[in-house]
Amino acid sequence: MNTHPSVRVLPPPAAGLLSLIFPGLGQLCTGAVRKGLLISTSFLTLTALGLWRVSVLAHRETGWIDKLQKALSRQPGFMMLVILLFAAVWLTSIWDAYFLAQKRKKDRSAKGRNIIFALILTHFFVIGWQIAEIDLVKMVQKFPDTIPPLLKILMPWEAAIHRDRIEVDAKARILVDSEGEIPPVPEMIEGQPYIQVEPRTGKLSRMDSQGNIVEGTAVTIEGSGYAPLTEVQIFWNDAVGNAFRPRIDGTYAGTMTDAKGSFSYRMTMPYRLVPPSADGPQYHTVEGRQLQGMGSPKPSEPLVLTVQLIIETIFMGMMATLFGIIFSIPISFLAARNLMFGSLWSKILYYITRTILNIIRAIEPLIWALIAVVWVGLGPFAGILALTIHTIAALGKLYSEAIENIDPGQIEAVQATGATKLQTIIHAVIPQMIPPFVSFTIYRWDINVRMSTVIGMVGGGGIGFLLVQYIRLLDYRSAGIAVWFIAITVSILDYVSAEIRNKFI
Amino acid sequence: MLEVKNLTKIYSDGTVALKNVSFTVQDGEFLVVIGLSGSGKSTLLRCINRLIDPTEGDILWNGVNTTTAGTKELRVIRRKIGMVFQHFNLVKRSSVMTNVLCGRLGYVSPAATLIGRFSRQDTERAYRAMDMVGIRDQAKKRADELSGGQQQRVGIARALMQEPEMILADEPVASLDPVLAHTILGYIEKINQQTGVTVLCSLHYLDLVQRYATRVIGLKAGEIVYEGTKNDILNMTDTQFKEIYGEEAQRVGTGSITGGTQL
Ligand SMILES: Nc1ncnc2c1ncn2[C@@H]1O[C@H](COP(=O)(O)OP(=O)(O)O)[C@@H](O)[C@H]1O
Ligand SMILES: [Mg+2]
Repeated sequence: MNTHPSVRVLPPPAAGLLSLIFPGLGQLCTGAVRKGLLISTSFLTLTALGLWRVSVLAHRETGWIDKLQKALSRQPGFMMLVILLFAAVWLTSIWDAYFLAQKRKKDRSAKGRNIIFALILTHFFVIGWQIAEIDLVKMVQKFPDTIPPLLKILMPWEAAIHRDRIEVDAKARILVDSEGEIPPVPEMIEGQPYIQVEPRTGKLSRMDSQGNIVEGTAVTIEGSGYAPLTEVQIFWNDAVGNAFRPRIDGTYAGTMTDAKGSFSYRMTMPYRLVPPSADGPQYHTVEGRQLQGMGSPKPSEPLVLTVQLIIETIFMGMMATLFGIIFSIPISFLAARNLMFGSLWSKILYYITRTILNIIRAIEPLIWALIAVVWVGLGPFAGILALTIHTIAALGKLYSEAIENIDPGQIEAVQATGATKLQTIIHAVIPQMIPPFVSFTIYRWDINVRMSTVIGMVGGGGIGFLLVQYIRLLDYRSAGIAVWFIAITVSILDYVSAEIRNKFI
Repeated sequence: MLEVKNLTKIYSDGTVALKNVSFTVQDGEFLVVIGLSGSGKSTLLRCINRLIDPTEGDILWNGVNTTTAGTKELRVIRRKIGMVFQHFNLVKRSSVMTNVLCGRLGYVSPAATLIGRFSRQDTERAYRAMDMVGIRDQAKKRADELSGGQQQRVGIARALMQEPEMILADEPVASLDPVLAHTILGYIEKINQQTGVTVLCSLHYLDLVQRYATRVIGLKAGEIVYEGTKNDILNMTDTQFKEIYGEEAQRVGTGSITGGTQL
């Protein structure tokens, strides 16, 4: 490095002073133009961002002092850190300008240090953390809330099967809290469930004057003729026929039948207010109800819908790919440099095509779907349209690159044998085109099916629509079925497309 | 007999690749074209089978002017001229067999190739061509699975399928090591000597030129600066060499027939 003692450089204190007036100014005037500009613009941006966040935190306050105080009281940690970094950037810029000027006195092209950029970057990330509303505490604290729905989503299969059910019951009468004729043992009817209760008279549980429960008579309920290994619910009917299900220690009265469909259940008679007007013998009824599955299990409605929509989804991806191929092949020729760099006009056409393709590709299919829904209404067609538009652009570019990569040597060699144009295309061009075309197309099909699983969320048809609906209805098991089907479909697709592509490359 | 008369080629970007080149090749000659990279060797060979259209001049082959030939005539001319390339130019994804059969395309009707079928005779001819260069057992492999030397043999077999009267070889051994270079040029020489096929071949190694050429022409910046017989090249002087290869060129191992003396 050459030293130029004759070149005048700003004296270090002046450089420092300039950066005190505005960060970066000192560096700028010392000749480090790019560094100075970078510091100044960063500082301006950080100031603006900081002020914006303060006014967001204190949107009701008017004066800046009030706003600052409010912001400080709301998020003291963040505010302190930002103010500290703000000061640090400012001070470092002063020190940096001084240091740089001092160095440049000896060597015109001295570089100085870049600690200030580390500070600026930190500052940006601190503000970014706050803008993004990152809240790790909430994330950890609220995590348990997600477990029940998550478990349902992970294990949704009981919602996948549906069985028609029928309720059967058997009754037995019991004389309660009164004198009278003890009811007979119920008669057994062939093919029907049956219960009997012993003893057939007793006292209900009641409440004494201190409000304590006095236990009633213990009874044993014997049942038979029920479906085996299925729950039986015990109900109690009072004298006027009000049925209720007694609770014993918080759980409802009931038991499971054994392998023969019989059960024996012991309980104390429940607490029940007897109507004051009642006199004479009071007969209550004990009831054993059972819900029995009827016929064979059937797929549930959510399962059927999910299967239908996953098929719709796969076909949406396929149709979009098909239409994409049809349109992108001719377009890819216009976007191939080696074909279009002949005349000026074709060159212009090439650049126009490329630009349009790039713009279309830059817009995500989900956004195209929003537009398509306005265009052709809700449903799978909107999704197909959106995916097709994106596919044309994506495949158009990939295909054109495949065309650009054609080896002219192979064409030349086949031409040299005396082959006609058609023969040259068949024997030299197509063999070169097939592998990339197949590979890109399969790749795109894969993407399209993936995309059609989410495109329904904005109304573009397919499984996504159903999934969003189930989640909005908090029907996590049904949502789980959809999620599982999406996962399975996408994995299979992943595998298949990788296999096909490997075959062709 | 091949007569090149006042051949000039100016590319569309203005590059003058050939300047008023004239020479004659008798049937059965093994003519070697030498010259620095960029001197116009490839352009010259490609003008002969019209892979490149000459700007001016005439090329008469057995009395027929190839420069004015129409599509149909050109097909008939091309199928009698085999071509071998530096980078082999095989259709990489096709099998060796398919590549060799491609040499027959000039004879079969385009309709037949649409179905992708070649006749039994052609398949048998392909096996014979592969036998000649010792690659029959590779027939089913994909072309890009072969080594460089094997690929060039496929290239020669493909040219043989044309039942050529002339072979154009554009630096056929420049991508191969010296031992392989001799093998490949040996095959070309065998074809030349056994069936009397005229050979036009551009080469880079002096010892190969001295070993295989029956006659040599030297190109420099698109002009012929040297013409000599086998004896002439064996006794080539440094001055003549510098004429062709420029001032900076060194002649290593004068007249040496062994070793890979590179110009
Ligand atoms: N397609 C082309 N367009 C423009 N210039 C070309 C083209 N092909 C070759 N040239 C130029 O023509 C000259 C001769 O090239 P070439 O015949 O390939 O020489 P060689 O085969 O002896 O290396 C070189 O200057 C080269 O850059
Ligand atoms: Mg060349």
